[in-house]
Amino acid sequence: MVDSMILAQPDILMLSSAGLLIATFAVVVRRGFVDWLSAYRYQSIVLAGAAATIAYFAGAWEIYIAAALTLLIKAIIIPKVLLRVTRKIKDELKTEANPYVSLRLSVVIAALLVGLSYALTRQMLPDSTLDKVASTYLPVSMSLFLIGLFVMVNRRLALNQVVGLLIIENGLFLFTTALTHGLSILIEIGIFADILVGVVISSILLYRISQTFDTLDVGELEKLRDD
Amino acid sequence: MSETLTLVAIGIFQTIAIIAFAPLLMGIMRKVKARTQKRLGASVLQPYYDLLKLLKKDEVVSDQSSWIFRAAPWVMLVATATAALFVPIFLPFSPFGTAGDILVMLGLFGLARFFIMLAGLDVASAFGGLGTSREMMISALVEPALFLTIFVVSLTLGGTNLSSIVAASAGQFVSGVLIVPSMLFALIAFFVVMLAESGRIPFDNPATHLELTMVHEAMVLEYSGKSLAMIQWSQSIKQAILLALFVNLFIPAGMASSIVGIDTAATSVVSFIAKVLLLSMLVAFIETRTAKWRLFRLPDLLAMAIASSMIGVLFFYL
Repeated sequence: MVDSMILAQPDILMLSSAGLLIATFAVVVRRGFVDWLSAYRYQSIVLAGAAATIAYFAGAWEIYIAAALTLLIKAIIIPKVLLRVTRKIKDELKTEANPYVSLRLSVVIAALLVGLSYALTRQMLPDSTLDKVASTYLPVSMSLFLIGLFVMVNRRLALNQVVGLLIIENGLFLFTTALTHGLSILIEIGIFADILVGVVISSILLYRISQTFDTLDVGELEKLRDD
Repeated sequence: MSETLTLVAIGIFQTIAIIAFAPLLMGIMRKVKARTQKRLGASVLQPYYDLLKLLKKDEVVSDQSSWIFRAAPWVMLVATATAALFVPIFLPFSPFGTAGDILVMLGLFGLARFFIMLAGLDVASAFGGLGTSREMMISALVEPALFLTIFVVSLTLGGTNLSSIVAASAGQFVSGVLIVPSMLFALIAFFVVMLAESGRIPFDNPATHLELTMVHEAMVLEYSGKSLAMIQWSQSIKQAILLALFVNLFIPAGMASSIVGIDTAATSVVSFIAKVLLLSMLVAFIETRTAKWRLFRLPDLLAMAIASSMIGVLFFYL
């Protein structure tokens, strides 16, 4: 006996949200900066696809542009910039050696966070108040947000703060696009410019931190005293 | 009546095929691995030559060992061969499906593993104990991941009967569903579990005899001759079963959704062989690309499998 619900049309919304979650998990399980960036790149590609799907459903051309910008800026430019700026940092500074919560536990926590965001979305917004796009993507965007936050809090490496921030930003982008069916294109471009500048500044800061203190561990930075 | 007989004949043919061709699959994987490492590699028939050679050789059994040491290879071979009876291979059907479902199959694998672990401890050699304790650690961690994955699969496809879930998977594909999201997460988890269960590289290196890294090889280090042949053969059967199960559950393209006509049967046989070959090549490529993981990092990978199947459960209930 096969449930008739499962035999529905190929559900591109569900599949793209699965793709987004898999990319987020890749950030949680991997230890190396380059691995995180490739996971982020993959996530951004899926995000662009999701945005294009929303554009198709909503019939708004602005979202197509936002999807193209996502592909260009998040999948190509930001990883390139980050790789270029951190090229001179030593490799052993770029791997997460011991996060506050162990990797295997953090994977399980991330899975629970996904569950939590689904439960919360159900609680706050019953399905009847939302259309299909929003009800599929809202919990995913919330879990991207929560996992990004968790990655930022959990890891010692300062590079992680950047990656976590980028994941949160991806979640926010998905949130706004799914809920409002596209902001004004001017605002979108502003956000993209913002995130680009933010990444550049923070990566320069990271480089300076690594040069001055010879570590990227945020735990170490707390110990500094002016004496 | 004659129809039942045909079905039983098909089922027995499938089982014999998987038992007979399992070493060939092993040989192909070794060959692919060798070629990707720019080695020439042994012939794909080498596992058969090894088995024949081992069968001809005398067996040395430690006089310190008990009956468990002698019984374990038999138990392993019989348990794995019995598990092969329940797996639908070329057709979404196995006539013995009423006698055992996917849980029985995993139980048989567990029985085989239990006896081989006992045998490893039985001879009281340092290596046997070392291999056994590692194997126990890995299998204790694999189990929750495996059962969550099976949980997702049986929820999505309805039931634990292998014939019906494989048929349901094929039916889904025929009706135009490429992959269900919950199955996508189950696929990731099952792939990791499959590597762990068949002792492939991030978990165990099947080609090593280096004492620091070997797991399965350390357990069976004391075996020789016919017993070793049986162990190797059942290892390859287990791997073939897992690959077949993976292909039939998650990549149902080309599989007939019911047992009708000879032409659909031919398509599903051909597509099955192609898919299994591709999958085994993929595994061999992964083996070439990655190094064996440190033993204490393995729980990371298995935690990922557990988390993935947890999300699979979540997606099912949406």
